[in-house]
Amino acid sequence: MNWRNNPELQERLAAEYALGTLRGRARRRLERWMREDAALARAVAEWETRLAPLAHAIPAVTPPARLWRAILDRLPPAPQAGLWDNLAFWRGLGLAASGAAAVLVAAVALLSPQPPVPAPAPVVLKVPSTDMAEVYLAVLSDPKTNKPLLLVTAGRHADQMQVRTLDPSIRVSGKDLELWALPAGGVPTSLGVVGDAERSMVKLASAADQSLANVPTLAISLEPKGGSPTGRATGPVLAVGPCIKFW
Amino acid sequence: MTPGLDDLPRLLAACAARDRAAFERLYRETSPKLFGVALRILRREDWAEDVLQECYVRIWNHAQDYRAGLATPMTWMTSIVRNRCLDWLRRPNLEVIDEEGELIEAAASNAPGPLAELESAGDARALRKCLETLDARQRQAIALAYYDGLSHSELAAHLREPLGTVKTWVRRGLLRLKSCLETA
Repeated sequence: MNWRNNPELQERLAAEYALGTLRGRARRRLERWMREDAALARAVAEWETRLAPLAHAIPAVTPPARLWRAILDRLPPAPQAGLWDNLAFWRGLGLAASGAAAVLVAAVALLSPQPPVPAPAPVVLKVPSTDMAEVYLAVLSDPKTNKPLLLVTAGRHADQMQVRTLDPSIRVSGKDLELWALPAGGVPTSLGVVGDAERSMVKLASAADQSLANVPTLAISLEPKGGSPTGRATGPVLAVGPCIKFW
Repeated sequence: MTPGLDDLPRLLAACAARDRAAFERLYRETSPKLFGVALRILRREDWAEDVLQECYVRIWNHAQDYRAGLATPMTWMTSIVRNRCLDWLRRPNLEVIDEEGELIEAAASNAPGPLAELESAGDARALRKCLETLDARQRQAIALAYYDGLSHSELAAHLREPLGTVKTWVRRGLLRLKSCLETA
């Protein structure tokens, strides 16, 4: 049976998948099709949503405390501070010494732990001389592949950030990229929508030294045009990365 | 302060950004519900723990795949758990869970099970009203499939009806449910 041209069959398979009566090879096959076909994936999600209230009726049972410890044991190790926090590494690049205009070579390829990914060309960034290379710096990468997607810099006294898109495929027409500050243990706050150009500016509400001082992590999410309507990330998080003080 | 369900999208986004504190809050907030779901289907605490362990690792690893436009975080996570439970029940050499036991009695006595507990508000209310419009056998087959993870052939065995009949109940029941919810 060809499911692609058969909306009724698609609907039935989606419903039975969500209910759970679709089993075995048929279930695996539908999971494969869902990855290829967004409409089918949506039909399944709609059925899961229709049936979701059934789960509300199941009594909640607090699991034993050992479960959380077992989960923690199975998480991949937390990202190591590594080169980013190692000032000796950066100083070793001979950057801070430079006078008028510091040229920062973020050897992004060095930071990627996955050798099979083709090494991206080194990113060369001119830091405005007035800031004397005292900048906040973040490379935001795809959390799955670690591929660097955006570079964000802000002079510590400046009230704007320079955002450079390293991979244009991150953009989706009709959508905007929104930049988020993730303060340690706090609520993510929007830093603004990133312009469409390869290089763009994002205005900060206050100088970077105030806006970014307690922000260990930045993230980018895909949002409706003009940014998230709710003030919280509503779309997928495309890239994250540590925000470091480089001085 | 408990974060509450409204906070789940934010907690998931923070998990995608590798925030372990957010992950722990997400776990505290959602694990009793999800453990309940897994226990209901698997009926064994040790299995439910194993499944939940795998599912939370999966939620952590795939938090960035969550699409807010498709489903609520709770629906997304519940689907992950139910799917894993169904896989678990298909493992070869699995001991028989409920040999001639509880399920048949429940089915025979027409016990309402969790359906009777369906909340009377919002989505649950609409679903409950629509379930009430179904033929009793259709409703029972759908409930057994959802709550207990029974396949068509298991449904047929438990309800002592031919496989084709049970398949038809499920298919017609689901169709009717959808059209009822659309007009609700």
